[in-house]
Amino acid sequence: MPSIVKRGGSPISAADAVALPEPLAGSGGDSTPQKRKLRSDALAALRDDGAADPARRVSPRRCLNQSPNTPPKRIEKVVADKPMKPNRSPAKRLPDSLVADSKWNPRDPQQMSAAKEALHVSTLPPSVSCRENEQKTIVDFCKGCIKQGKAGSLYICGCPGTGKSLSMEKVKGLLWHWTQEAGLQQPEVLALNCTSLSSTSEIFGRILSKYQLPKMTNDRTSALQLLQKLYSEKQQSTKMMLIIADELDYLITKDRAVLHDLFMLTTFPFSKCILVGVANAIDLADRFLPRLQSLNCKPTIVTFRAYSPEQIIRILQERLKVLPYPVFQPHALELCARKVAAASGDMRKALCICRGAIDMLEAELQESTRNPYLSMHNEDKGQQAVTVPEFTKLQEIVAVTIDHMVLALSRTFRSPVVDTIQILPQHQQIILCSAVKLFRGRQKDTTVGELYKSYLDVCKSTQIPATGFLEFSSMCRVLNDQGLLKVGQSREDKLRRIALKVDEADITFALQGVRFFRNCLQ
Amino acid sequence: MAETPKRIHTPRKQKQSTSNLHPEPSASPISFAPRTPRSAAATPLRRSARLTPLSPDDGGGRDAGTPSKSAGSTGGPAPGSGKRTGNVRNAGLATPSKEETREEAEKAVRFDRSGRKSRQRVENEGNGVSFAPVSPGQSEIKKRRTSGSDSRMVARARTSSASDGKKKKKGDAVPKKRVYYKKVVYDGGEFEVGDDVYVKRRDDTSCDDEDPEIEECRICFKAGRSVMIECDICLGGFHLKCLAPPLKEVPEGDWNCGFCEARKLGKEVELPKPPEGKKMARTAREKLLSSDLWAAHIESLWKEVDGTYWCRVRWYIIPEETAAGRQPHNLRREIYRTNDFADIEMESILRQCFVKNPKEYAKANDQGDDVYLCEYEYDIHWHSFKRLAEFDKEEEDGVEDDSDEDWISRNEADSETDEDMDYEAERVKNLQLRSSMAHECAANSRRGQFFGLQKIGTKIIPEHVRCHKTTDLERAKAMLLLATLPKSLPCRNKEVEEITAFIKGAICEDQCLGRCLYIHGVPGTGKTMTVLAVLRNMRSEVDAGRIRPYCFVDINGLKLASPENIYKVIYEALTGHRVSWKKALRLLNERFSDGKNNGRDDDRPCILLIDELDLLLTRNQSVLYNILDWPTKAHSKLIVIGIANTMDLPEKLLPRISSRMGIQRLCFGPYNYQQLQEIILTRLRGIDAFEKQAIEFASRKVAAISGDARRALEICRRAAEIADFRIKKAFKTAPAAGKALVGMSEVEAAIKEMFQAPHIQVIKSSSKLGKIFLTAMVHELYKTGLGETTFEKLAMTVSCLCASNGEAFPGWDTLLRVGCMLGECRIILCEPGSKHRLQKLQLNFPSDDVTFALKDSGELPWLAKYL
Repeated sequence: MPSIVKRGGSPISAADAVALPEPLAGSGGDSTPQKRKLRSDALAALRDDGAADPARRVSPRRCLNQSPNTPPKRIEKVVADKPMKPNRSPAKRLPDSLVADSKWNPRDPQQMSAAKEALHVSTLPPSVSCRENEQKTIVDFCKGCIKQGKAGSLYICGCPGTGKSLSMEKVKGLLWHWTQEAGLQQPEVLALNCTSLSSTSEIFGRILSKYQLPKMTNDRTSALQLLQKLYSEKQQSTKMMLIIADELDYLITKDRAVLHDLFMLTTFPFSKCILVGVANAIDLADRFLPRLQSLNCKPTIVTFRAYSPEQIIRILQERLKVLPYPVFQPHALELCARKVAAASGDMRKALCICRGAIDMLEAELQESTRNPYLSMHNEDKGQQAVTVPEFTKLQEIVAVTIDHMVLALSRTFRSPVVDTIQILPQHQQIILCSAVKLFRGRQKDTTVGELYKSYLDVCKSTQIPATGFLEFSSMCRVLNDQGLLKVGQSREDKLRRIALKVDEADITFALQGVRFFRNCLQ
Repeated sequence: MAETPKRIHTPRKQKQSTSNLHPEPSASPISFAPRTPRSAAATPLRRSARLTPLSPDDGGGRDAGTPSKSAGSTGGPAPGSGKRTGNVRNAGLATPSKEETREEAEKAVRFDRSGRKSRQRVENEGNGVSFAPVSPGQSEIKKRRTSGSDSRMVARARTSSASDGKKKKKGDAVPKKRVYYKKVVYDGGEFEVGDDVYVKRRDDTSCDDEDPEIEECRICFKAGRSVMIECDICLGGFHLKCLAPPLKEVPEGDWNCGFCEARKLGKEVELPKPPEGKKMARTAREKLLSSDLWAAHIESLWKEVDGTYWCRVRWYIIPEETAAGRQPHNLRREIYRTNDFADIEMESILRQCFVKNPKEYAKANDQGDDVYLCEYEYDIHWHSFKRLAEFDKEEEDGVEDDSDEDWISRNEADSETDEDMDYEAERVKNLQLRSSMAHECAANSRRGQFFGLQKIGTKIIPEHVRCHKTTDLERAKAMLLLATLPKSLPCRNKEVEEITAFIKGAICEDQCLGRCLYIHGVPGTGKTMTVLAVLRNMRSEVDAGRIRPYCFVDINGLKLASPENIYKVIYEALTGHRVSWKKALRLLNERFSDGKNNGRDDDRPCILLIDELDLLLTRNQSVLYNILDWPTKAHSKLIVIGIANTMDLPEKLLPRISSRMGIQRLCFGPYNYQQLQEIILTRLRGIDAFEKQAIEFASRKVAAISGDARRALEICRRAAEIADFRIKKAFKTAPAAGKALVGMSEVEAAIKEMFQAPHIQVIKSSSKLGKIFLTAMVHELYKTGLGETTFEKLAMTVSCLCASNGEAFPGWDTLLRVGCMLGECRIILCEPGSKHRLQKLQLNFPSDDVTFALKDSGELPWLAKYL
């Protein structure tokens, strides 16, 4: 398998495999699902044995089989793994037919799609872990409001992918159950995404439509006025109204009237609405609604922090719990979690990367099916392959390894600048080169005209026929699209400001392989 | 093609009666042994009901009178049919133009006196099959002119069809081939290319054997000649007098029957039962709308080698059969045209119906029961709707193309041929072209709507161009056109694989998981083409049943009037219904976010391809947010593929959007020179027109600057044009046929044209004074070293130059005007001329360019001294 050879060569995998932290192992252990208990006793005992030690989720047999195939670095890794599974026993080597069903079989399309589905963004996890505190705050707030029958407002903020909207879904369900149990009147729930409004003030119409009022005689009064009227008069037994406005910042207009009016609805004497706004900005309320403070209706703020690596691991494992077999090696999950947490703490990204890692595995499987004999050149296995080729393949890959994860991560996080520069057409490389030369001094930006002169100089000195100015400026635009240059706006082409967007060192590094440019840049 | 104008005529054609009307000329003695001896005997199940009234009259010379009689017995002008908007039918008549037919019939009777003998023979041999041959030869034309003289007395519109009705022996002469016809009279019905017909769904339905063309009143269950009115809801027909209270005349506007009115109010209604022993006859319309019949559009007609008659049809489907199901906005008589073609035997065709576009439909007030509305085409593979207006335009284009053919057929068939013949020949040719086109790429022929690439590619090449044997150069030029779709996409295998894996990964699972893919790359690197190629490949797998069917919606951001319009476009493509974007947004939100499905098969996954994704950026980016948010919903089954040039678009977006966009990216890098070379070579495979080095030179040049495949193709095409021009010129002077290859020099010239800035050309071709002016500017620049000068100084220099070289100084005013003209060309930058002598001037291009352009000017050789 040539691909493995390459992946095994990446330095991260080896490093991470050695530096595997222990706490992870503990959490890996409890992910053994209950389903297994239903199976036959003898097997269950064995499997429990294995599950108790999470490091063993990587089947030892697999390591044995693979080690002859893998390059030296890879073997080191396996060796490094060894101390962590001290109680590996020969008894574990069971016939495949018996062990296989407790393992994830990536060749089974059903199991594969089950794993993918569990990791998809749209799949609602059975419980929202790691957000218990925030959830409780919100629920308590709403409960309080419903009990007292008074209005209130809440603002939830946090980075994208930190489970805000998901928590709100759960809160809705919890409140519903709670009111049923407590025998209170069900609140009306209006959950809307502010991006789906065609105009900002449409939100009032939506709220009003929930009330299903008897026909108002006067059509001229706006929905807002009607709502204000409704909330300022005493009324009998109107239900509480829970408004969940996702992406609240889309309601920000120039005069901020809509947002303001929305929050003001909660201040009316007989207001019955509980407003929960969700958005990214932490200081939205402070920045845009300074007046609310003075009116004493400043919303309570709940902040959703970005996930920590431990939380990401927990959530991923929670999601994977639905599957009766381990899909990921614990190291792989750990690596993913740490990388994502370091970058943004965005759960969606973590899920995407895990999905990407599964795709990597799938691609590798396909490749190995396409040329099966490349992967089993060993004599002892060769014989096996002839007789039962299915088994050997099964043994090879039973989980997403750290290598797959590294590959998936690198696709997401690696900076493609150097590669991009290296495959650029020559003249565009010359432009970058001349820009680097131009910016050697203290100057950090210039105009397109100046850069063209510098480009002409380089061309002249290397006796390459230069292109015309029009061509040059269109090349600059292409470089701008690629994120290498930053071209400003100007009416005149020549006067556009131009600046480098990438580090000069990157360009120098990328172009140093070509002698032509090395001379140029010296 | 020509079917649009044709369709207007179709309602006038009589169904079964017309065949008998045409006099059989004595000049056509040989006829085939007809395949269907007597229609009544051959297809007793189907036609018996209709044929019974005919049979008593079926003898002697009175045969031609039969239809006229039947028409007379049932016909009758609908009183006051002119002024109503409501749907009115002549009782018992499915078609509107009976009166006219009867007139014709009477004429036909007159003619028949002469041609009776032969006519009878035909009758004896069976209700024959007649047609016009594909390519009418000279002899036939003559024959037609001698014998068809009387038939031309019939209304003009009928002339061609009447003459077609004659039998020709051509079919016998070439039995080994399929013979295509324009019109076939089959089994008593006359079918023409471009007609819409009913097609039997099953062959063995004995219960459906009766085919009542006469609709019965819903109340008295009799079909009389009195006027009936149609309910707009249930489409049932009612006699005016049977209604309670009876109506005197047909009311204006919509009219609903009492039953529907009652049902609307929520009452239980019992429809009147038909009397004992009488079965409720279902009309063809009812059967079609309950999908017991099919409707189809005849695309071509031919006779097989074994003598059976076949036609190629394009199916219509009823709204219930689409993926979206019947939707509330569908009209009762609305059907969709599909891009599904099939070859069927003529045997299964029932009779004609009339499918009209909305405009014609609105006019077709009282044209009977078999009128349908068709506004959209439904793509059966990708389950999307497309409005038909676009096609009609396309068809008109086709007609325009044919003007060339017109010219050539006139040449062939002498100038004496009458117009009808031309028209016919054209049509037949058209047909052949079209059918061959359709065979070539199967149902794919209409896919050209996407980007118009294929559309232009499959444009009909006029006949005279075809006759002329194309040289390699011409073929090379055609292949290098950007619009020509290459058969394969070289150098993008990895990307193709990746996209295929992405789509399959998203679709193949039982539950389609929404995903996003962002494709970026510089222009001309085959992004869109690759995606479309992948989808085309996927379709064959869908057809094979390996992949679940899916919808495919393709949107180009550039074609949207405003970013919000994308909702409208998506919704229209998914449901075939136009609403405002606000409503579309709401409905799409319901569909994707809340998982509300109102259609039948709506749960099939949907692939949304958005080209130029960055154009959807609005100020608050809500459009992109919505589109990228849908795939993250549980029931959306939406897969979004976005294409744009910028690499860092996701980073430019709000974090919440890029978070939803996912991490799937695909980069199309610029081509290097080997790849460009391969692309050109694959296009030119089998055409020997280019020197190998020339191609390499062009691709190297392009790869060094932009790596844009479009440019490489353009350069090569231009080089081929230059070579072609050169060869033709050489041919005129010395006609020596030599192998003409595009060489380095042509490519060089083409590259110069493309890459060399145009200003050099402008400078070279500027006036004498302008040249002096520019030289003076360069001279001034050298002298002072300053880029900027004033007009005053420049004028001094110019006068110096003129004086020392024997030119007359033109005077300041003229010089100023020259300066302003150069300023307008942007050769120099100058302030407005009103400043006169203080006007500041500056060269807009490097002085080297000016030097290069003016160095060797013929008229002013002394300029070089100063440069």
